[in-house]
Amino acid sequence: MKRTWSTLVLCLSMVGCSQNPVIDDEMMRFEGPMPADLSGSWERDYALDDEINAVLRQAYYSLSRTVPDQGYPGRPGVAAPSQKDISSLMALARLAELITRPDELTISQNEHEVSIARKDDFAMLCAFYDGVAKGIESVYGTEICGWDGQQLVSNLLLPDGLQVTHRFTISADRKQLRVVTTVSSSTSRIPFTLRRFYKKFDRPPSKFNCIETLSMKRVCSTGEIEL
Amino acid sequence: MRFIAGPRVPLLAQIAILLIGMPLQLSAQEQLPADADATAVTNADRLEAINVSIAVFDPGVPDDQSLHRDLQVFPRIREIEARLLPFVLREALAATNSWGAVRVVPEPDIAAELLVSGTIVRSDGESLQLRIRAVDASGRVWLDKEFGGVMAGKYAPSDNDSGVQVTPALYEAIADSLQQARAQLDNKTLTNIVAISLLRYANALAPTAFGDHLDRAADGTFTIRRLPARDDPMVERIKRIRGAEYVITDAVDEKFQELHSEIASIYDMWREYRRKVVAYQTDNAKWLQNRRSDAPRGSYEAMVNLYDNYKMDRITEQQQDSLAVAFNNEVGPTIAAMEARVSELEGWVDQQYAEWQRLLEELFEVETRLEQ
Repeated sequence: MKRTWSTLVLCLSMVGCSQNPVIDDEMMRFEGPMPADLSGSWERDYALDDEINAVLRQAYYSLSRTVPDQGYPGRPGVAAPSQKDISSLMALARLAELITRPDELTISQNEHEVSIARKDDFAMLCAFYDGVAKGIESVYGTEICGWDGQQLVSNLLLPDGLQVTHRFTISADRKQLRVVTTVSSSTSRIPFTLRRFYKKFDRPPSKFNCIETLSMKRVCSTGEIEL
Repeated sequence: MRFIAGPRVPLLAQIAILLIGMPLQLSAQEQLPADADATAVTNADRLEAINVSIAVFDPGVPDDQSLHRDLQVFPRIREIEARLLPFVLREALAATNSWGAVRVVPEPDIAAELLVSGTIVRSDGESLQLRIRAVDASGRVWLDKEFGGVMAGKYAPSDNDSGVQVTPALYEAIADSLQQARAQLDNKTLTNIVAISLLRYANALAPTAFGDHLDRAADGTFTIRRLPARDDPMVERIKRIRGAEYVITDAVDEKFQELHSEIASIYDMWREYRRKVVAYQTDNAKWLQNRRSDAPRGSYEAMVNLYDNYKMDRITEQQQDSLAVAFNNEVGPTIAAMEARVSELEGWVDQQYAEWQRLLEELFEVETRLEQ
């Protein structure tokens, strides 16, 4: 079951092990209203998205640079990464691609919470009470958010050092949303990052008024709903 | 036992009958000492039949909103439970046939012969934990403890008309505890409780006439200093006014009854769902502890497995949130209608109460002047 915030802080500092916490104490606090309003309906702008093979090539190059130079021990050189490194990187890339697949986001925001609903995935929830981030913790993982300036950062810590971080940035004209997703693992020497772009759209108003009920499921009417 | 037995008479007619009968003749007061027979304010046949008022429960929702998710508290649903559960307790007490009128009241009535209040400590569909406190009119605490129970199965037998599935043992335990507490009191004490109840009510309504009949100790308990005369017309008036107020209280109680029967089946669905979620979470936690993934650590399959476990857990929780909203959507209009009617009735009582207070004070002044 869910536990307290102190446990969460402990997890952030320990479960990440070799990785530095993505969200520090400063990011988990803010004063006044939320630093940015991300609310609205967003659809994927495929034209701007990162091309996964290009990112993978770049990551491969980065991985090569981290292989120690045999001629100068202690300095990074450029050499072919091991099969294990490549497998780990490929696994991260596939996971990043899977997680960033939703082509539509619905973000709702109030003074306490930012909820990011995604098709075929759980809704990310960033809760802040009195300007302090409130994490979600279960036996399956730990989720915490923070504000890095005007960027909303969501960090999910999973067992085995697996970590998924999303950074949401809204453009000045509020028409574009950039989501930078980084997946890292204690089994991989480098993380994998993918950028996805979304453009705002207005959902057409429905002809029906619908509400969910417990006994009748979804109830819709063209007029006022009377139960 | 209800205040008015037999076929239901329209509410306003009942009030009219009660008030028209209010005696206005003036007579000298004959005062009785505190240890005299208290027939002026109670009847011997009521000794066993202490009236019980059950106040709407405290929902037990922490002020700190950030704790709600951790504690699995759905504030709106807790508020609904706070109105529903007292009614279930009322049914359990009434079923024992050992109490007088058992009423659910929206606010604690300090002059009640026995006031039962409760706080919902835990309610997650599988288990229910209530803190129950019972205090009589003299300020004596009969009961102050927690009662817990496991939810009855969906098809568990139900003794009440509404068919709601509750935790019968929990409510029976409360009823037993109250009976045990009462068994420890002798007839004189019970008689005094009834008398003090009326005197506290009278004091609140006509403080000039009844301001010096009770002593209040430092610990908040009340004792009778003196009793009014047997034929004191003011007492008769107070009894009639209280009777009129009981009619309204019964009308309010009836609203709680209606609310209960209207939303009990939906509430049962909610509890059943909550029970399943708790069972699912428990099973899943066990499964996770014993799980041995064949996929090598760091492989895509292993990572997806970790992500999916979290995803499913969150989706289950979010589904629960949306069902809480669905429950609110469905019962919201019924609750709002009930609250409006209760507020209307209470508003009427408040208005009348002020008028009764003024009338009684004036009558007392006239009577005292005539005596002199």
